[in-house]
Amino acid sequence: MTDAIVTEGLVKVFNGSIRAVDGISIKVSEGEAFGLLGPNGAGKTTMVSILTTLLRPTGGRAVVDGLDVTEHPEEVRRRIGLAFQVSTADGELTGRENLEVAAGLQGIPAPEARRRIRELLEQMELAPAADRLVKGYSGGMRRRLELAVGVVHAPRILFLDEPTLGLDPQGRAGFWDYIRHLRKDTGVTLFLTTHYLEEADQLCERLAIVDYGKIVAAGTPNELKQRTGGDTVVVRPSHGQDLTSILSTVPGAQGVHVIAGAYRVKCDRGEAMVPPIVTACDRAGVELASVEIRKPSLDEVFLELTGRAYREEEGENSGWAAERIGQMRGGRR
Amino acid sequence: MLRELSALLRREWLRYIRTPVWIISSLLVPILYLILFGQGFNYPGGPAQYLGAPDYISYFAAGMVGFVVLTMSLFSGANIIFDKGLGIVKRQVATPAPRSTLFLSPLIFRSLMSMLPAFLVLGLAVLLAHIPGFVGLTITGSVGVLGGFEIVIAVLVLALMFNALFLAFGFALESPQSYFGIVNLLNLPILFTSNALYPPGVGPEWLHQIAAYNPVSLCVNVLRENLFGSGSYYAYSPEIYFFGLLAWAVAFIVLAFVLGRRALRTP
Repeated sequence: MTDAIVTEGLVKVFNGSIRAVDGISIKVSEGEAFGLLGPNGAGKTTMVSILTTLLRPTGGRAVVDGLDVTEHPEEVRRRIGLAFQVSTADGELTGRENLEVAAGLQGIPAPEARRRIRELLEQMELAPAADRLVKGYSGGMRRRLELAVGVVHAPRILFLDEPTLGLDPQGRAGFWDYIRHLRKDTGVTLFLTTHYLEEADQLCERLAIVDYGKIVAAGTPNELKQRTGGDTVVVRPSHGQDLTSILSTVPGAQGVHVIAGAYRVKCDRGEAMVPPIVTACDRAGVELASVEIRKPSLDEVFLELTGRAYREEEGENSGWAAERIGQMRGGRR
Repeated sequence: MLRELSALLRREWLRYIRTPVWIISSLLVPILYLILFGQGFNYPGGPAQYLGAPDYISYFAAGMVGFVVLTMSLFSGANIIFDKGLGIVKRQVATPAPRSTLFLSPLIFRSLMSMLPAFLVLGLAVLLAHIPGFVGLTITGSVGVLGGFEIVIAVLVLALMFNALFLAFGFALESPQSYFGIVNLLNLPILFTSNALYPPGVGPEWLHQIAAYNPVSLCVNVLRENLFGSGSYYAYSPEIYFFGLLAWAVAFIVLAFVLGRRALRTP
């Protein structure tokens, strides 16, 4: 299978010292759905900006659809589509007019553009609102329009930067369906960044988890989940006692780690481990504040790999106005 | 390139016609200047004081054209700052459209829109001269086709150069505060070192020396010489002033393209 995206030791340094991307090497095959998952400031948007020719890398190499992004930026831009994390549609234009401008900027002849726009408006269920000004659109409609603008020229590779940022869970699930249909219909290669673990799990065939500009793990969502090695029982003592020696001796415990004051006991089946853990603690005279069973998930992978809890925060915005609009809509920063 | 340019020009037009408050205010403000300021400050004097214009209002009305073009062009860059804030410029930059198109489309549209109120003011000033109780512009020269052409081209060149400069600032600067800071800094010196509003003999000699080379003055001189047939009051013919203006325009547009290119540069 041909590689759609290849990066080798990609580096981006801001202000001489901030290594937003710190030696990332990835390969994405043609037609694959690949995700970069990580918290805010992990370097995801910087990666997308380099791959979409909006930023020049400080070091390393990035090849998109066989073309080096720094040597052939214009040709790369012809072959890729991009949906930004904040809507870039012009609120004073209708949805259709926004798409017409986007098609014009891609150099698509008018008759072909009209046909393509009609199809996209239907596909994204925006046809009834096509001739309304975008400033009256809901958040979900704006995201769908952003996606339509990104694919108006039928790109070979589609970059989605935090595509469901700011949407409620229902809107997010609905948007995933549009992306699934789009992939099914066009076979487009998908490169997605997200800080929503569920989104990465739902949409991506392969993932790379990034933190502080580096890849900390890569694989299919299932492979990554398996890295946590079964269930985890999380035990919190009421008075901060050291439980390591007590928990290590419980039959079935495969290892004990302490993260942020919580003892994490690895085991095959969490349900079977809870009674002996509680009994052992009781015998040792330790009062427990809580005992939880955690099934393998990307949250757990992230915690295991980085030693930090994963917080689903709102992502970065693209400009001062977008930032304010985000705040007005109740987005957290 | 034409397809990209026409798509962006259409966007500019759609945004313009959907902002009626802006259309009305941009046309009304210069008219109010002409009626309130122009009528109130109609100093006594004749062609000798007003570089060949028969009275101050005629002198002022021609000057208003330069003033209006300058003022209107100040807003060009503000639109870019807002487009940048909303991610619209980023979207355009992410397309394969030539970078020059992204600069040219607002330049062409905004320049034409700056000329509209300028010529409206000129027409209204001529009309006012025929309304009892008002003073207006009295054309004493024989403008002719060539003169009319010279006037239109001079105003177009002035509009292009100022719009290019302020658009470049819009592309280069990040915040509205920085942009309006720069605009505020440039606006008054450009206007008040020109001969657009005050006649010769008012103010010190050094100011008139500067005014002689100010691009607004050069444009307005082309207008006044043609409208008032007042060659004897000027050191040079309208064509010389026109070429002076053109030299300024080349310098400003080159500077604007350098600034714009840097701001729109991608790998």
